[in-house]
Amino acid sequence: VAILPAPQNLSVQSTNMKHLLMWSPVIVPGEIIYYFVEYQGEYESLYMSHIWIPSSWCSPTEGPECDITDDVTATVPYNLRVRATVGAQTSAWSTLQHPFNRNSTVLTPPVMEVTKDGFHLVIKLEDLGPQFEFLVAYWRREPGAKEHVKVVKSRGIPVHLGTMEPGAAYCVKVRTFVKAIGRHSPFSQAECVKVQGETLPLTL
Amino acid sequence: GLRRCLISMDIHHIEEAFQEIKKTIQAKDPFQNVTILSTSETLHRIKPLDVCCMTKNLLAFYVDKVFKDHQELNPQILRKISSIANSFLYMQKALRQCQEQRQCHCRDEATNATRIIHSNYDQLEARSAAIKSLGELDVFLAWIDRNHQGTSA
Amino acid sequence: LCISGGLPQPTNITFLSINMRNILQWSPPEGLQGAEVTYTVQYFIYGQKKWLNKSECRNINRTCCDLSLETSDYEHQYYAKVKAIWERNCSKWAETGRFYPFLETQIGPPRVALTTDEKSISIVLTAPEKWKRNPEDSSISMQQIYSNLKYNVSIYNTKSNRTWSQYVTNHTLVLSWLEPDTLYCVRVESFVPGPPRLAQPSDKQCVHTLKDQASALKVKI
Repeated sequence: VAILPAPQNLSVQSTNMKHLLMWSPVIVPGEIIYYFVEYQGEYESLYMSHIWIPSSWCSPTEGPECDITDDVTATVPYNLRVRATVGAQTSAWSTLQHPFNRNSTVLTPPVMEVTKDGFHLVIKLEDLGPQFEFLVAYWRREPGAKEHVKVVKSRGIPVHLGTMEPGAAYCVKVRTFVKAIGRHSPFSQAECVKVQGETLPLTL
Repeated sequence: GLRRCLISMDIHHIEEAFQEIKKTIQAKDPFQNVTILSTSETLHRIKPLDVCCMTKNLLAFYVDKVFKDHQELNPQILRKISSIANSFLYMQKALRQCQEQRQCHCRDEATNATRIIHSNYDQLEARSAAIKSLGELDVFLAWIDRNHQGTSA
Repeated sequence: LCISGGLPQPTNITFLSINMRNILQWSPPEGLQGAEVTYTVQYFIYGQKKWLNKSECRNINRTCCDLSLETSDYEHQYYAKVKAIWERNCSKWAETGRFYPFLETQIGPPRVALTTDEKSISIVLTAPEKWKRNPEDSSISMQQIYSNLKYNVSIYNTKSNRTWSQYVTNHTLVLSWLEPDTLYCVRVESFVPGPPRLAQPSDKQCVHTLKDQASALKVKI
């Protein structure tokens, strides 16, 4: 009986604290292959090395990838392993070569929407999840203007940044901060809005 | 080391992990007349200067004793306990930096409070003591949140 | 004395807690519609030795019991239980989970005072107060219990149909450079960082910014 091969080429792709474990699919013509993913945090590997925990979403799964975001929930190295099954056949475990630590995640500049409500500068930031704070810098577009900085935690709802003076243009840029791993993303491109001038009263 | 050891800790996801298993874990603890952390006698008497040492001692208490003595078969609960245990491991590393900067001095108050907690634990059979200590994680996390607030608000 | 277990237990027994006012509430036992069922409540301080009676909640008809006084030390944790009694039968005790007021109480909304002029609204917030036994007792602000208490102020411009929000920690907020002669509505929610808690936003309050004197002057000319 042919032995079912273990999945190969395990790797983790992690962006903005979303972690995806991937591997090369095991092919058996005419059969549906199921995969089981398990993980072990540093605690388990130090104190309970025999313990492996079934992944939240991939015990089993069909595709050659697994979202391990809800499993890797501490900033410590995690061991990850996968095996394939078809019918009663089960492959050997294939283990990620190097433990994965979420502090290696790629942080991208966040998407923002800068608007105004009258003289009020308002920003709406994409919802990247509860671990993200946003460092918002805004300034009046003129030489030597002072840069104001605000930490925003609200996600997905318009947040008031500041009050603008009539006729002026204001620019905004933002980056994320993830306290759990102590890292920032790069700043986004600056976006600017111009405030309509106020209709001056007739001077007598 | 008079400067307080304030380290950046993201407590809230640990609190959320515990909230999801709190009812189940606490329901497994039959001894309502016994506490391990015995809040008013120990934790609430800790002064700011002793917060680092007490945090270090209690993290070690959970990592070296409680999580080891508890055997969990339910995968959902196992995942949450693993999340908390690995987060405590990370917090221990973060505290080590304070130790190197001599901001984690242990005075008698913290040492005695820790001794009371270990003694409470040892008066119960290991598994019962472990499940009770797990059930009191909300007390420990609330205490950490309040005492390390400069960083985790 | 009654025959224990002769009745089904009360159900859905929980604490409803807002600003440390802790009310035990439950649903009547099933299948006893029309029967004159009464209830008796006891409570337990976690780590102490025995269950304690709540005399005002012995043989009561209602399905709630105010245990605020008995659970006022919010650093402790508590259990409560209730049993149903009808004629010579009574149910087994129905018990709550462990109740931790410090982490579980809902933080009520602040008191919100709005004053306005042509182009600004000033908002003054007063932190909610902890439950107290007698109105004459001295007040304790929830801010004294939760030093990291914040407020999420949301402002709705009825003319532009736009809403934006702002987190504030202090108690006054001035919204300047608003549009004159416009109706703005404000809603405020208290917020304590930490484990998730139910939140109670304040009632919506609306206020009209005054007419712009300058444009009124222009009209006169």
